Amino acid sequence: MEYVNPEGLRLDGRRPMEMRQLRAEIGVISKADGSAVFEMGNTKVIAAVYGPREVQNRSQQLNDQALVRCEYSMANFSTGDRMRKPKGDRRSTEISLVIRQTMEACILTHLMPRSQIDIFVQVLQADGGTRSACINAATLALADAGIPMRDLVTSCSSGFLNGTPLLDLNYLEDSAGGADVTVGILPKLDKVTLLQMDAKLQMDTFENVMQLAIEGCKAVASYIREILLENTKQLESRRGI
Amino acid sequence: MVGLSLGEQNFIKGGIAQDLRTDGRKRLTYRPIFVETGIIPQASGSARVKLGGTDVIASVKAELGRPNPSHPDKGKVSIYVDCSPTAEPTFEGRGGEELSTELSSALQRCLLGGKSGSGAGIDLSSLSIVQGKVCWDLYIDGLVVSSDGNLLDALGAAIKAALSNTAIPKVQVAANASADQQPEVDVSDEEFLQFDTTAVPVIVTLTKVGRHYIVDATTEEESQMSSAISVSINRQGGICGLTKRGGAGLDPSIILDMISVSKHVSEQLMNKLDSEIAAAEACDEDDEMDS
Repeated sequence: MEYVNPEGLRLDGRRPMEMRQLRAEIGVISKADGSAVFEMGNTKVIAAVYGPREVQNRSQQLNDQALVRCEYSMANFSTGDRMRKPKGDRRSTEISLVIRQTMEACILTHLMPRSQIDIFVQVLQADGGTRSACINAATLALADAGIPMRDLVTSCSSGFLNGTPLLDLNYLEDSAGGADVTVGILPKLDKVTLLQMDAKLQMDTFENVMQLAIEGCKAVASYIREILLENTKQLESRRGI
Repeated sequence: MVGLSLGEQNFIKGGIAQDLRTDGRKRLTYRPIFVETGIIPQASGSARVKLGGTDVIASVKAELGRPNPSHPDKGKVSIYVDCSPTAEPTFEGRGGEELSTELSSALQRCLLGGKSGSGAGIDLSSLSIVQGKVCWDLYIDGLVVSSDGNLLDALGAAIKAALSNTAIPKVQVAANASADQQPEVDVSDEEFLQFDTTAVPVIVTLTKVGRHYIVDATTEEESQMSSAISVSINRQGGICGLTKRGGAGLDPSIILDMISVSKHVSEQLMNKLDSEIAAAEACDEDDEMDS
């Protein structure tokens, strides 16, 4: 199948190096300590953060740092074909783990010993790149909860189809069988915290594809920063400062 | 669970006794309802309902299926509810399963009627395509995104809104199929049928706190309840289903009284909900024209 047509346009009309439309909203769940919705095109994810709070299960308590927990779940209606999956299948357990590790790396856990931070991400619509969208939503929710972080982790995926590196794959491109590189970075520190790839790539192509994903992450980071700034300005005006 | 001090508990109970609740409402006043439709593009119909801090999403998906042999002239509808841990950290893992099952079965009771499908809020015979061969299966999925009490009423409203938003494709059946063959069906992707939702009931939950009962209880108020009754009532004022929750027993005469109160409340709720749904649909159509 042709994923990039001769004019250089992809299936959904994007250029190879173009990202899908981003949209984010902070504070969507009033009861949570921090929450955010993050959309990348048709992928829509909602994240909620509870904590830092007392550790619920005493045996898990860490005396020198905070316990970070994460659960990823997909709504039944999130995918094209409706399916009813049992909770805690292998895929969601793996993604929960990935998100937890990525977020843990940027939270200053040593500042909150003997406490627990819960991150819950719920996929409302899945159209490729849920992993990245979840991490971006979790970052926003953590920032909304006021949890101290080293940097804002952001994530983006890229792939390689028809001899062209493509940024931010959608579901069709993702399931095409080409490589799918998901990268998470700490943009200010310029460090990679998450890197996953399936399928195979030439060494030098991989370099290009990964560089493209990093550029994507940086674009997401600047958008997230904008949203946070906007939110802070609103809070400021509500307080009447 | 909600941790309330004795003073807070008495404050809530005392307020309800004086017809002035902690958020300033009267006993029989709902929180403002906010409806948004067409939020899940992959679904045949979807809606999001916000009721104060409670936020639920319902989606309807229509798929072709085979009718149940005992009811060849009817389609099938199933309702599942999922409680996302975003709403409450205790829903993590399998923690929300009990509540999900309770809500799903209460909704099935309130909206789907008996096993035969008679008395259902949704007209099952309108889902039949070829008698005994092909019918529509409606899968209704509810998702609790944020919870601040009164989930059942919110889910009921969301399902009603999602059904009003549902467009079922028109189908052409090939006429030449013989009796024992599965007929060929051609699903149109341009023409859609709107679903008739005038008969879909609304659910009103009356929560009994002390000697009085209130509608649309928040989580704090629900923690003080002795028992609750959920009644689903259609536009004609007929009762379509009933569920009692909570341990304390109720006097039969009180139950009858509660039902008549809920019937009165349901009229206001039905009108409010209908106008909200109509507004949301109009808004949704505007969006479509813009894009």
